[in-house]
Amino acid sequence: MTRLRPNAPEGARLSARALRAGAEAHARKRDGLWPWLFVIPLLAGIALFYLWPILQTFYYSFTEWGVFGGSTWTGVDNYIRLVSDPDLYSALGNTLLYTGIVLLGIPLAVWLASLLNTPGLRFASFYRVLFFLPYIAMPTAIAMVWRIIFNGDFGILNYLLSLVGIDGPYWVSTPGIAIVAVAVVGLWSSLGFSMIVLGAGLTNISPEYYEAAELDGASPWRQFTSITVPLLTPSIFFVTIITVISSFQLFDLLYAILGSQNPILPKSLSLVYLFYQAGFVTNEKGYAAAIAMVIFVLIGFVTFLQFRFQKKWVSVD
Amino acid sequence: MTHSPFRRRTSRWATALAAGVGLTVAITGCSTGETPAESEGYSAPDSDLTAEITYAFWDATQQDAIEANIAGFNEEYPNITVNLDVTPWEGYWTKVQTQATSDTLPDLFWLNGPNFQLYASNGKVEPITGAVDAGAIDPANYPESLVDLYNLDGTQYGVPKDFDTIGLWFNKEIFEQAGVETPTADWTWDDLKSASQTISDELSDEGIYGVAAGMDGQTTYYNTIFQAGGEVVSEDGTTSGYDSDADREGLSLWTDLIASGASPSMPQLTDTPADQWFTSGKVGMFYGGSWARAAIGDSEVKDVVDVAPLPAGKEQATVIHGVSNVVAANSDNKQAAQALQVYLASEEAQTEQGDLGAIIPAFTGTQAAFAESYPGVNLQVFLDATAYARPLPVSKNSAAWNAVEAELLPDVFSGATDVDTATTDLAAQMTALLAKE
Amino acid sequence: MAFPFLWQIIMSLSTNAELQSVVPHFWPSEPQWQNYATVFERLPFLSQLRTSVLITIIRSGAQILLCTLAGYAFARMHFRGRAIALALVLSILMVPSQVYLISQYQIVQGFGWLNTLAGIVAPGLFSAFGTFLMRTAFLNLPTELEEAARLDGASPLRVFWSVMLPLARPSIAVLAITSALWSWNELLWPLVVSTYQEQMPLSAGLATLVSDKSNTDYPVIMAASMLAMAPILILFIILQRRVMDGLAFSGLK
Repeated sequence: MTRLRPNAPEGARLSARALRAGAEAHARKRDGLWPWLFVIPLLAGIALFYLWPILQTFYYSFTEWGVFGGSTWTGVDNYIRLVSDPDLYSALGNTLLYTGIVLLGIPLAVWLASLLNTPGLRFASFYRVLFFLPYIAMPTAIAMVWRIIFNGDFGILNYLLSLVGIDGPYWVSTPGIAIVAVAVVGLWSSLGFSMIVLGAGLTNISPEYYEAAELDGASPWRQFTSITVPLLTPSIFFVTIITVISSFQLFDLLYAILGSQNPILPKSLSLVYLFYQAGFVTNEKGYAAAIAMVIFVLIGFVTFLQFRFQKKWVSVD
Repeated sequence: MTHSPFRRRTSRWATALAAGVGLTVAITGCSTGETPAESEGYSAPDSDLTAEITYAFWDATQQDAIEANIAGFNEEYPNITVNLDVTPWEGYWTKVQTQATSDTLPDLFWLNGPNFQLYASNGKVEPITGAVDAGAIDPANYPESLVDLYNLDGTQYGVPKDFDTIGLWFNKEIFEQAGVETPTADWTWDDLKSASQTISDELSDEGIYGVAAGMDGQTTYYNTIFQAGGEVVSEDGTTSGYDSDADREGLSLWTDLIASGASPSMPQLTDTPADQWFTSGKVGMFYGGSWARAAIGDSEVKDVVDVAPLPAGKEQATVIHGVSNVVAANSDNKQAAQALQVYLASEEAQTEQGDLGAIIPAFTGTQAAFAESYPGVNLQVFLDATAYARPLPVSKNSAAWNAVEAELLPDVFSGATDVDTATTDLAAQMTALLAKE
Repeated sequence: MAFPFLWQIIMSLSTNAELQSVVPHFWPSEPQWQNYATVFERLPFLSQLRTSVLITIIRSGAQILLCTLAGYAFARMHFRGRAIALALVLSILMVPSQVYLISQYQIVQGFGWLNTLAGIVAPGLFSAFGTFLMRTAFLNLPTELEEAARLDGASPLRVFWSVMLPLARPSIAVLAITSALWSWNELLWPLVVSTYQEQMPLSAGLATLVSDKSNTDYPVIMAASMLAMAPILILFIILQRRVMDGLAFSGLK
């Protein structure tokens, strides 16, 4: 589709838009009912099993929901209580910190994925499996092993640190630091996932580009920054979106690594943990529903922003 | 309610027979009662009752004992199939709550003190009044304080199937190394403080401490609160007892122990649970439940330990708690479920539990197997403790104020906040929550 | 990277006493191979394995089918409300997953699928993540081939099946792996929906080994975890070699 110069006269721009609208309508006609056939099975399932529960939750956020059912309308009480609850803000802060750290893994993953994609790399399969291992393992076992590694008095990490003269803290028992510890594990386990998605994206880049660059005498680093990264941006965008969304959902990992009896848990809440506590521990399901809705809005907003900015940096063929 | 293909309805014939008969003779050999059954009362079902029921619980380590019980049950009721549903602890409550909300609860399932009132007060649990009246279950056979735990507003919903109390586990080798006398039944808080302090001082270069505790209510501070003469929840269940001097005393004991170095610090106890300090031989004494017997008996220190009653404060006390088997109020197979409930509460089943498991069966007189299961260790301590035991403090929504305890008390123990301010705050919040129930 | 795994292997070969001690033992005094055998005693391992395999194949298969179809439609086809539909689909990822628990339970109960394979599998047949992944994949593919096929008169289905799908194979492999992995490890839903131990998947079985207060047998848990991980690991090794190794960008040629 043609893009007109930004300074084109008003009339010309209008007709470009009209052109696009016309093209769109034509395309729709041409596609006919087919798109619906493709989409309906998925949409139907999603609507029934996922959208409907969200609507229910939205409704319940305005009520006080009894533990075993039965609800009384309370209007926006839950929301008012939520907004004035300091736990919400500390949970938000923790979640953002966690997300930030895990996002650092993406540039690393891009670089590692491109290394693995080097043609003729020996043991490429082996490396791929190696990096993917953390993603495969059962979360219960992973959490246990990391707890032992992080142990303040007897763990490997502090032992290694002591060899270089650093007195390691109690990683999972100190507020503030615990989140970082959990984020490290989060980063470690998500690296493999990012790498395979990026790896798949890399296969879409034609070797011709690289060949041409070689002929021009470009260094591998130059090739990386000028060819690989720009052409990989759609996949990077995808990985970023998914990473942000799933990081905002931090719960299982936090719960498993810190341990359910951990006294600093109330100080290291994540957003979803706040939800879980209200919904399943203290049995305030209406309040929990309100928390869920707020999480929804937060994640939705961040995702929307990302989509907005996409146009600035993501290349489309 | 939906009937899943896996459930079969109780045979109409059996139901009619059981319901139609006015007089029943208890087939299971319980009391010779010939109590006339009211129409809602319990009557031991006919032995060829056919049903398929689900029995849900959370502790996989007790599965062998439970299967043995079921085998015994099936000797009397060969046509009742019992399907065991084991769900790990964390998921159990989510699952049971989901099932309760949709009224698809298992026919028979475990409840514990903190959760019992929630389910009973919402009509999800079937009372055992009928069975008691018919003489099939006699509450006098079980520790009284525990039986009360499963009584709500005068109605009894179940009897305990096991119990646990808290005791002072200690490592004889460490005591010898530090040159301290081992704990006796007469120990008081002062003895505890001086002994643990000495151990910590003497053995500090080996990283060994005097005493460690899980810093949770049941194993730690509820005990010391009771021992100081305090209460956690008031008698009538409407106010919190935390803002009293007695409670503060009970809590401060731990603050002092940590501050003086007799106990590892809070971060240390969080990173490494107290029981692991003990099983690794890094602490001389450990406030542990009777259930710790399994882990300790399997550890590196198993040959050098023993157990004594808790050191007493103003009075002697320990926390007692136990799980109960309850029948779902809207179970399709109530007859069969109740028959199983009755069987599991019987002396026969309880003895079997004791013989096979690491738990203490609740039926008085069946605990011999437990007491003898660890030669060299005086497990009788846990049984004797029932004389002065106090039930675990609970209410309709225990989880709500348990969460506040977990939020405010750790800082008291670590000395970060002052005990008076924290307890006043805790009491206020807790009373407000209790009022909401 | 792999250190935690090496540690896990070491743990699986130790005795519980060695693990209870906080001071780490770097190598067990005697490798306890029987821990692996114990796993089979404690769990109905084979039937749980069977369940895990079954539900994973069903859910992954369904996801691959439905998400490639929908993803293609979102990427390359035009229809009214496309943007809104996509937004709705993505939105389900933005709520904590426990939100769905009770509602889905009641829906499944309504269908009479409690305690059945259908009940365990039903909600997992549909994936917003998969749809988004496939949409991204199709967006990345060049339009020339499609245009050419269309000009030749092929129906959209034909275009999809014969032209675009083969080109999207790397992403389909990714979807296969991620959905299989997710399905394999998913714990809470199967736990809540099924009450028969033999019917539960391995993830739930593993969780039952971690008990509440009694003696947690760490080495056996580690051994069980290694055994449970094995099938997925094998799947990954097969898939990544087949599809990703040396996949040439040969479409246009």
